[in-house]
Amino acid sequence: MSNILEVTNLTKHFGGLTAVSSLDLHIKTGEILALIGPNGAGKSTVFNLVAGVFAPSEGVIKFAGQTTHGQKPWDLARLGLARTFQIVKPFGSKTVLYNVMVGAFLRTNSTQKAREIAEEVLVTLQLDHTKDMLAANLTIADRKRLEIAKALATDPKLLLLDEVMAGLRPTEVDDMIGIIRGLRDRGVTVFVIEHIMRAVMALSDRVVVIQFGQKIAEGSPEAVTKDENVIKAYLGGEYDAA
Amino acid sequence: MTAVIQAALNGAMMGAMYGLTALGLTLIFGVMKVVNFAHGSLLMVGMFSAYWLIRLTGIHPYLALVIVPPVLFVFGYYLQDVVIKPVFKAEGQVREPLTVIIVTTGVWYVLDNLALMLFGAEYRTVRTAISNKSFALGEFIISIPKFSGFVVAIATAIGLALFMRKTKTGKALRATSLDREAANLMGIDQYRIYNIAFGLGTAIAGIAGCVLIPFYYVYPSVGVVFDIRAFIIVVLGGLGSIPGALLGGLVIGLIESVFSQFMASTWTEAIIYAIFLIILFVKPSGFFGHKQDW
Amino acid sequence: MSRKQLDRILLAVVALAAFGLPLVVTSPTYLQILILLFFYAYLTTAWNLVGGFAGVLPLGHSVFVGIGAYTSSILTLQYGVSPWIGMLVGGAIAAVIGVIIGLPTFRMRGAYFCLCTIAFAEGIRVMVENIDTLGPLKINGPRGLLVPLLKDPTFWDYQFMSKLPYYYIILVLLILVLAFTWFISRSKIGYYLAAGGEEPEAAAALGINVANYKLFAMALSCFLTALAGTFYAQLMLYFYPKGLMGLDLSFEIAFIALIGGRGTIAGPVIGALLLRPLNEFTRIYLSDMLPGLHLVIFGLILILVMIYLPKGLTAPLAALYDRLARKITGQGAAK
Repeated sequence: MSNILEVTNLTKHFGGLTAVSSLDLHIKTGEILALIGPNGAGKSTVFNLVAGVFAPSEGVIKFAGQTTHGQKPWDLARLGLARTFQIVKPFGSKTVLYNVMVGAFLRTNSTQKAREIAEEVLVTLQLDHTKDMLAANLTIADRKRLEIAKALATDPKLLLLDEVMAGLRPTEVDDMIGIIRGLRDRGVTVFVIEHIMRAVMALSDRVVVIQFGQKIAEGSPEAVTKDENVIKAYLGGEYDAA
Repeated sequence: MTAVIQAALNGAMMGAMYGLTALGLTLIFGVMKVVNFAHGSLLMVGMFSAYWLIRLTGIHPYLALVIVPPVLFVFGYYLQDVVIKPVFKAEGQVREPLTVIIVTTGVWYVLDNLALMLFGAEYRTVRTAISNKSFALGEFIISIPKFSGFVVAIATAIGLALFMRKTKTGKALRATSLDREAANLMGIDQYRIYNIAFGLGTAIAGIAGCVLIPFYYVYPSVGVVFDIRAFIIVVLGGLGSIPGALLGGLVIGLIESVFSQFMASTWTEAIIYAIFLIILFVKPSGFFGHKQDW
Repeated sequence: MSRKQLDRILLAVVALAAFGLPLVVTSPTYLQILILLFFYAYLTTAWNLVGGFAGVLPLGHSVFVGIGAYTSSILTLQYGVSPWIGMLVGGAIAAVIGVIIGLPTFRMRGAYFCLCTIAFAEGIRVMVENIDTLGPLKINGPRGLLVPLLKDPTFWDYQFMSKLPYYYIILVLLILVLAFTWFISRSKIGYYLAAGGEEPEAAAALGINVANYKLFAMALSCFLTALAGTFYAQLMLYFYPKGLMGLDLSFEIAFIALIGGRGTIAGPVIGALLLRPLNEFTRIYLSDMLPGLHLVIFGLILILVMIYLPKGLTAPLAALYDRLARKITGQGAAK
C-alpha cells in the first residue's frame, strides 16, 4: 500500500517557540491514523501545517506523492485534502444543506449536482433530518457531524478530523466511531486528532504520540498505551506541556 | 525655510489634535473591533459641551477639562449600553460585527443633525483667557492654546497607555481586545468592558473638545473633518495601537501643514489620501500594527 | 395552485404594475421621484453583490457612480462617443479600480477594506475637484460637467425629451440586475461568496480562494454601479464631484441595503421603497421648519431597524408572505 501522506523532518517555529520539531510521519492509503499527545503538544499545528494554513519552517510534506510546499488550503482541498476545525465553523446563517453544498461545489459547477451530492452526504452522516435547519441552531453533536459532512462533500482522499469527539456524550461518541469507520470503508483515509482514548483505541490502525512537538512513540494502539514514554508524558509531563 | 519650520510646528500641534481624536477611535476599535463612525460626532459633542460651559459660566477653558471628559465618559458609557450593545448581542460572536458599524453611523447622523437643529449651522468661537496668546521660541511663534493642546494630547496618550498596563480595568480591556471569548471565560463581562471602552473613547473626545475650543471653531458637522483624518491615522498607526494613533496624527498634521506651504490646501488633502493608500499597499498593518489575519 | 405558481403570479403583477405605473403617475415631479427610487434600488442591488453576498462593507461606492458619469460624459463631450458605449468603458474602468482597492484589503480584516473604500472614494473626489484638465481630458474641477441639451436627440444619444424613457431604462436595468443577482445567488459563485463572507477559514478549507471570489464580486459590483453613473449623467445632464461622488451617496446606498436586508435579493428594493420616499418627503416638508430633522429621523430609523431587525426588513416581510402564501395555496408546511 502506498502512502497518501508523508511528512519528513517537519519543523515549525512561532517566534522563539518551536511548536513542531523534526517530525516524521506517514499515513498509508486507507488507514486510520490517530495523532495524540498532551495539551499543547503541537497536534493542531501539525494539522494546520498539513492543511496549508501555515508554511513549515523546515521539512517536507508530501500529499499523494506531491510536495505541498507553498500550496494554500484551497489548493490542497482541490487535491483531495479536507479537514474539520476543532472549534467548529459552520456557516451559521445558512441551512445545513447549504453548508454541505458549499463543500460539494468543489467537484461540480452545477447547483443541481451539488445538491444531490450534499443530500447523499447528509444521509451518510445521518443528518438528513436537519437539512432545512439553520446551522447555528444545531446541537453540538450535530454541529460536529456537519463539520465532517462539509469536508466529506469535497470528496477527499484524506480527511483530517480535529477532535470531532470533544464535548460529545458517550453514546454520541459511539455513533461517531461508527460514522468514521464508515468513511474509511468508503475509501477515505482518515487522520484524527483525538483526546478520548476509548475512541482512539476503537478507531485507529496506528497511533502517533507527540509531546513538545516531537514524536515520542508510534505503533498500534495497544502498544502505544503500554509505552513508558507515553505513560510518562500523560502522567508526568501534562502540566509542563500545557 | 523659517516659514516651513513654522508650518511644521503648527502642523505638529494640529496633528496632536488629530492624534488625540484617533486615540479614542483606536481604543474603541482595539477592544470592540468596531470602527466607530460616530467618533467625530462625539468630538463635536465634546466641543459643544466645552463651548457652552465656557460661554455660560466664563470659566477658564482648562477648568472645563475637569468637567467635560467625565460627563462624556458617562454619555459614551450609556450610549454603548443602550444603543450599540443590543446590536452586538444580536450579532452574537461574529468576529467583525459590521452592523454595529452601521449603527454608529446612525448615531453620527442623529447627533450631528440634533446639533444642527439645536444650535444652527453657524461656526462658533468663544474668546477664552488664553485665545490668541502666544510665546516666541527663537524666531518662531508658538500659540499657547495649541501648545497646551499638544501637551495634553501627549499626556493623555501616556496616561491611557499606563492605564491599560497598570490598572485592573485596563488589563481587562486588553484581555478583551486580544480574545473576547477567553476573556469571557475568565469572568470578564464583555459588555461592561465595551461600555468602559466606549466611555473612555468618548471621554478622550471630550478632552480633545476642551483643548480645541480655545483656538478652533465649532459647528454641527465639525466632526467629519476629524473623523476622516482619524480613520486614516488609525490605519497608518495600526488599528488598535496607542502610540500609532499619536504618531499617525503627527504625520498627518505635518504633511497637511508643510505641504500647504507649496500648493493649494485642497491638494494636501488629496496627498494625505494618496499616502494613506500607499501605506496600505506597502505596509498594510501600519507602523505599530500587528500582522493581521484575514 | 402551487406555491411556485403563486410566486410567479405575484412577480408578474409587480412587474406589470411597475411597467404600468407611468399611466397613473404622469406628473414629471413624481415620475422623477420614481426614477430616482429605481436608481437607488439599482445601485443598492449592485452594492449588495459585494456588500451583501461577499460579507464586506464597502462605503465608497459613490466614486464608481462618478467614474461612470465622468467617463461617458467626457467621451460624449470631447469625442462624440455615444453614452451607451461610454457607459461600458466607465464600467470597465470602475471594475479595474475596484480590483485595485480590493487586492490589498480583502486579505485583511473587514475594517481595513471599509476604511480603504472611504479613503479611496474621498481621495478621488478631492482630486477631481482639484483637476481642471487631465491631459487632453476636460474635467472641470469642482464645477462639474454639463451635458448639453440636444435639439433632436435619438436613442443613440441617450437623451430624451420626456421622463418616460428614463423611467423604462432604469426599470429594465433594475430588473436585469435583480435577475442577475438571483442567478448568482443560486450558483456556485453565490454559495462561495456567502461562505467566504461568513467563515473565511472554513471556506478556504473547502477549496475556496476567498479573496479571489471577493475580488470578482467587487469587480462586478463596481462595473454595474458605474453603468448607473452614466444613467444619472444623462438624466440630470449636470453633475459635480461633491454632489455625485460624496460620502452621502455611498452611505445612503449602504443604509438602504442594511435596512432592506443585506445579502437578500428583495432587500435593496424594499429598502429603497421605504427610505427614498421618506428621504424625499421629509426633506421637502421638514427641512424648512427644522433643518436636520429629516436626517435625525433617518438615523433613528437606521438604529431602530438594526436593533430590532438586524437582518433588515426583508426577513419579517418574507415570513409574512410565507404565511399568507400558505393560506392561499392551502398548504400546511412551508417549503
